[in-house]
Amino acid sequence: MRALSAPTVLGEPIDRVDGPLKVTGAAPYPSDIAYPDLVHAVLVQSTIGAGTMTAIHAEAAEAASGVLAVITYQNAPALAPAPMTGLGPSLPLPFRDNRVFHHGQHVAIVVAQTQEQAVAAARLLEIDYVQEAAVLGLDNPRAEVLHNPWQADLRRGDPAAALASAEVVVDETYTIAAETNNPLGLFATVASWEGDRLTVHDSTQWPVMERQTLATVFDIPESAVRVLSPYLGGGFGAGLRVYPHVILTALAARVVGRPVKLVLARPQMFTSVGHRPETQQRMKLGALQDGRLVAIDHGCTSALGIEGTNFGRVTVVTPPSYDCPNVATHDHQVRLNIPNPGYMRGPGKTEGNFALESALDELSYKLRIDPIELRLRNFAHVHPQSGLPWSSNALQECYRVGAERFGWSKRSPEIGSMREGHWLIGYGMAGVTFELYQPPCEVRVSIHRDGSAYVRSAATDIGTGTYTIAAQLAAELLGLEVGQVHVEIGDSDLPTAPQSGGSGLATSLGGAIVDAAGNLLRAFLKTVADDDRSPLQGMTAEGVAVTNGRIAAIEDSSVGETYFDILERHKLDELSAGGEYNPSAGAPGIAGPAAFAARFAEVHIDPELGLLRIARFVTVVDGGRILNAKTARSQIIGATVMGIGMTLLEETVIDSATGRIANATFGDYLIPVNADVPVLDVVFVGKPDELSPVGSKGLGEIGTVGVSAAIANAVYHATGRRIRTLPITIDKLL
Amino acid sequence: MPGFEYVQAEDVPGAVAIVSRDPGASFLAGGTTLLDLMLKDGVIAPGRVVDIGRLPLRGITRRDDFLLVGTLTTMEELAAYPTVAERAPFVRDALLAGASTQLRNMATIGGNLLQRTRCRYFRDLAVAACNKRTPGSGCAAVTGPARMHAILGASEHCIALHASDLCVPLVALDAVVYIQGVGGQRTVPLTDFYVLPSDRPEVENVLEHGELVTQVEIPLLPAGARSGYLKVRDRASYEFALTSAAAALMIEEGTIAMARLALGGVGTIPWRAREAEAILEGKPANDQTFRAAADAAIRDAFTVPGTAFKVELAKRTIARVLQTVAGLRS
Repeated sequence: MRALSAPTVLGEPIDRVDGPLKVTGAAPYPSDIAYPDLVHAVLVQSTIGAGTMTAIHAEAAEAASGVLAVITYQNAPALAPAPMTGLGPSLPLPFRDNRVFHHGQHVAIVVAQTQEQAVAAARLLEIDYVQEAAVLGLDNPRAEVLHNPWQADLRRGDPAAALASAEVVVDETYTIAAETNNPLGLFATVASWEGDRLTVHDSTQWPVMERQTLATVFDIPESAVRVLSPYLGGGFGAGLRVYPHVILTALAARVVGRPVKLVLARPQMFTSVGHRPETQQRMKLGALQDGRLVAIDHGCTSALGIEGTNFGRVTVVTPPSYDCPNVATHDHQVRLNIPNPGYMRGPGKTEGNFALESALDELSYKLRIDPIELRLRNFAHVHPQSGLPWSSNALQECYRVGAERFGWSKRSPEIGSMREGHWLIGYGMAGVTFELYQPPCEVRVSIHRDGSAYVRSAATDIGTGTYTIAAQLAAELLGLEVGQVHVEIGDSDLPTAPQSGGSGLATSLGGAIVDAAGNLLRAFLKTVADDDRSPLQGMTAEGVAVTNGRIAAIEDSSVGETYFDILERHKLDELSAGGEYNPSAGAPGIAGPAAFAARFAEVHIDPELGLLRIARFVTVVDGGRILNAKTARSQIIGATVMGIGMTLLEETVIDSATGRIANATFGDYLIPVNADVPVLDVVFVGKPDELSPVGSKGLGEIGTVGVSAAIANAVYHATGRRIRTLPITIDKLL
Repeated sequence: MPGFEYVQAEDVPGAVAIVSRDPGASFLAGGTTLLDLMLKDGVIAPGRVVDIGRLPLRGITRRDDFLLVGTLTTMEELAAYPTVAERAPFVRDALLAGASTQLRNMATIGGNLLQRTRCRYFRDLAVAACNKRTPGSGCAAVTGPARMHAILGASEHCIALHASDLCVPLVALDAVVYIQGVGGQRTVPLTDFYVLPSDRPEVENVLEHGELVTQVEIPLLPAGARSGYLKVRDRASYEFALTSAAAALMIEEGTIAMARLALGGVGTIPWRAREAEAILEGKPANDQTFRAAADAAIRDAFTVPGTAFKVELAKRTIARVLQTVAGLRS
């Protein structure tokens, strides 16, 4: 088998293999799916933030043109309790009773022949409510507070004593507004029943988990459910849970006995598929005059719905980041009358990094130590929690290379000392430590007599390049051209795969492909083990290499034959092999893998008008092995744009009186446009990580992390204003 | 959405006649406002939509010191018209800052004047209290989160913003609106065209139902005048103004001989700042004069917590645009 030590295809910046399908409109997104007898559903959402429904007047809607069903809690068929999932308990089921827990909660689903008829009928539904005072605001004394909700709070050393004796202390509070993922593709579900078999096309990032959930709540075997998600228009974490609208679409299809399509409207995206919750963090740093950290105490309070869970540790970033002997973390969640939050790219870690890296910047000014130098003095040469050596860690190189590319040495340390006309100029930076999440994954790989190969797994490509890197990796391992490898994913009937989430899929799927490719090669060798006509007879996988579809002896490459020869002679259409990746908690005695990054921002600020423009942004990432230089760069630049949005623009504004989201449209909720985004310089450093079979360390989220701190730190350098509340809008800079 | 009848108008009198006799009818031009309000937001539901897109109301005519702009002329066409760049450059600036190219190619000048507010409380059926949508129901924006809202001409009845960029230099120039009704034609100065909401926010302008804006007369600046439009917003492009200002100045030997100033992003209607103009004219063109004009322009602001910052931001916006037009700053 070809070793990954000197790859020729893997890592190359080849174009996305699914690109032509997407730019020609041929890729079938969930909202494109049609059936001959398809009908359309529209959700009706509550217009109060808390209370109960006392009457539902559905007569007019039911009588409206084309209407097939108006389903509410009063007439909905019962659902079985939802299962425990890989991310904790399922969300509470919809339509259980008349209670309303947040503004925009689904209270009815209307099914009609056409989408327009469904919309018109939905507007005819009248609901009487008894409204209660909504519990809103992180500091609301009426709110239930969950302390240490994941039993993951951590303590090493004696942080309280170390803070008390520290020579310099930073003790500040950082607040980040709620944000909404807003993938451009509106989430869509198409559900179709044939008897007790359910097929669902959905904007999900995790078909296998969705299959499990749907099978459980409809009380049918998992084998009777198929979830398809070969393409979706972005996810950013919004597709990591089975949200109520998915279940309701399947429910509606069962009620009307026809396939049903539901496409969320943009305002409904704000209340239906999770969001990054509002957070308030208290960060205490204690240091010596020479810059060495002696204590970090990191607390966070984040918002949660009235019922339901959200696994979103914020303080998790702090323990592995710096060599500091005394660390404590505390997470809290506050139950409010808001849509239950969820996972938005880099959940928790993005927020936590903002507080940690802002506080370090504050410390650097107190100590008058250069921000990079301060981080180098606290560099964690070993994993600071376990004390074990890192499997790989090029963070120092990230700082060095980034500083060079950015021109950090031109930074004049005094605040407000750099300007261009009436624009103040600021330089800021942040470091990032991002520990890899490695879920198990399975895959099946096959080679056919016609020369094609197939990689099949229930994984999804949420626009990130899964199709492409899977094809590249398989081509590399099997000695094929990328064009010969067909990747089939996004189907729960295929081998079990984890979510596209937590930055883990590429590494886990890659590990499974490595295993499967080895198994497949062994299957070929086993086929010819007793074949007198094969030059490979009796050889082992360790003794051969594959190139151009041909297996040959390493010692003498003239001894060998092609996959085709073997299949032809043995009258086989194909040979296939499964593979899996099931990482343990890490190799004994080694910590990691973790990805690392350094982020550098140059901001220009017009102090009179409060205008903030990002002039340059440099990112250096140690992501281990880069599987495709182009899609990897795209991951980082896309995530950086999200980080810019989080820092400058994005805020899901929740009316503190009613719980209504006040800006649930793209006209009111601002995301960056091209004019907000400078040229983004991205460079990768580091080497393949030995704890990951393909050497990768996860790139899906690290690009969002550190952007906010780098920009906010640059704003301080330019203006002397320390902005601890995101987003940094004009009013905060006046 | 509810069904509606689509009618393609054959001529101007016919279009006016159809809409005038049907209280549920609405004109359709570029559609960039109407279709959003009908299809996406569902806050208006005309039973009949009269498409005026094929009427001969498109094109620009140059006269000695003004332009006559047909109501169906697109924003892009007006922005590209050479005389606009030469003799009223701040009109061009406002058009280019006002919308993306795609929208400028669809949106018409008449439609821009008549665009409805972006107030999300007005545009969301889940909000019960909106005096503009449901007269007498109250104003949820006054008590809820509000940022993209008006501070001038606003009251507890309504703080909905008139978000047009184009209208800001147009009111500064004393543009005139030509109106066709069933009884004939009339003209109204743009500064008199809009109606302050006071206690009837549902009334936005002087048009009778069925009257059609056919042309807009845009006076040109005198030779030697300089003008500018400054739009301040969080996002670098494709956002409505937090504050904006259109200014035209004629400066003779350091003294302001003529001043025109209007504001956007702050008013329930496009806001002509006549008190500020009175302060500017005859005074030396310097920062002190400009700041005094800015202070005079923003008086009696009605703010809510989310819009309070606009008072100072608007003043700085005014001072900056005046400095820029006067050549004191880049």
